[in-house]
Amino acid sequence: MDNQRFRDEAKRILSEGNVRCLIGYSKDAAGFRVSPLFARTEGDVERLLFSPLCNISLVNYLTLEKGALLESGARAEEEKIAIVARGCDSRALCQILAEKGISRERLIVLGVPCPGVIDLSRIEARFQGRRECAEVTEEGGAYLVRLGNDSYAVPKEELLAEHCKRCSFPNPLVYDVLLGEPVAQRKPSYEDVMAVEAMTLEEKEKFWKEIFGRCLRCYACRNACPLCYCDECVLERLSPQWIQRSVNGGDNLSFHLARAYHLAGRCAGCGECERVCPVNLPLMLLNRKMEKDMQALFGHTAGTDVEQKPVFSTFDRKDPEDFIL
Amino acid sequence: MLKKFDPNIVAFLCNWCSYAGADLTGTSHFHYPENLRAVRVMCTGRINPLFAVAAFRQGADGVLISGCHPGECHYMQGNYLARRKITLFRNLMEFVGISPERLRMSWVSASEGKKFADVVKEVTNKIKELGPLSAFEE
Repeated sequence: MDNQRFRDEAKRILSEGNVRCLIGYSKDAAGFRVSPLFARTEGDVERLLFSPLCNISLVNYLTLEKGALLESGARAEEEKIAIVARGCDSRALCQILAEKGISRERLIVLGVPCPGVIDLSRIEARFQGRRECAEVTEEGGAYLVRLGNDSYAVPKEELLAEHCKRCSFPNPLVYDVLLGEPVAQRKPSYEDVMAVEAMTLEEKEKFWKEIFGRCLRCYACRNACPLCYCDECVLERLSPQWIQRSVNGGDNLSFHLARAYHLAGRCAGCGECERVCPVNLPLMLLNRKMEKDMQALFGHTAGTDVEQKPVFSTFDRKDPEDFIL
Repeated sequence: MLKKFDPNIVAFLCNWCSYAGADLTGTSHFHYPENLRAVRVMCTGRINPLFAVAAFRQGADGVLISGCHPGECHYMQGNYLARRKITLFRNLMEFVGISPERLRMSWVSASEGKKFADVVKEVTNKIKELGPLSAFEE
């Protein structure tokens, strides 16, 4: 990824005017973390970069920025927001556009073909105790990690985030500018989902009871999810209160059923929910189960077509109904 | 002696077909198990699977959703939309270890009083076989 070309392109977009800000990545944080950058001037753009450390989704900032207070004199309808989008982010954008959550005219998408990003916990475990600001590049199937004056080569598979290993949409689907060459996509596989499906009901109940029992109900998964952008969330509704707020087996199960179901046919597979979970719940397992069934039952894949109708507002007279009495 | 398991079953019935069908069951004096608690909704398309989740969490052992036959929905397509939602939600239930047999769906028209009684019998027997729902306990 040529960061200089990236910056030039960003400057060009910002100088065209009528762009409120450009949402991208910068390496302002210590260690292996990247931080989101809200570039408003050409000076800000100098800090813009893309590297395998960019493991956060910026799409959520877009829906937050949409509701942000306007600077005086500016008019919301006319201003545009530019955003850097990896394959999964563009899929999330595509889904939001299909749901008419934001208008395409207000959006400038800088698409980045993404060969996969690094799992923060893996790289932090690999370089324990190192606090220097790291720089990482990818070269021939390995990551070149530079820490201060030292430099290390680490095999890619060792640090690659779990959801990237199964990513079948590494190239942006919706974009105005494409930065870099398209990368080869991986074969979709649902082995992890099939392993759970193969269990008996009792085994499944035990498996999930342990997992949901760890849930703190912090709702970080919801807050980080680019597709959870409702103004009013069902989890905060008190009348009727569909899901109780207490942290116990039954309510945790209710919450996780609701969360997974709300993302059915919408999840873009960016893995944000798993990344932010403080107790490492395998939430993508539920999302991927829904994705798999959506494809098998209704031939629907989320975030692949901006003209696509939401799966639950359409139907086919031949939909399966063998369970109906 | 162990107390016999008496399941709680919540039924969401559509106003135009199944609720009228259930009414006919009563007026025709067909007998069906008294485990059923009926909730009237305007259309099965209005049913969010969260209704079932809330029912399970509050002590239901089974949920029955019943509406008009395909093609006969008062709102043209509500039952088709419901069918999709429930199909997927049953798969999710099975994935987390709850028998999908606990969430049933049926098509019962306003003239099918006998069928409604049969459906309730069938659902109740199945839930009795499965036993109390433990997944939603605290």
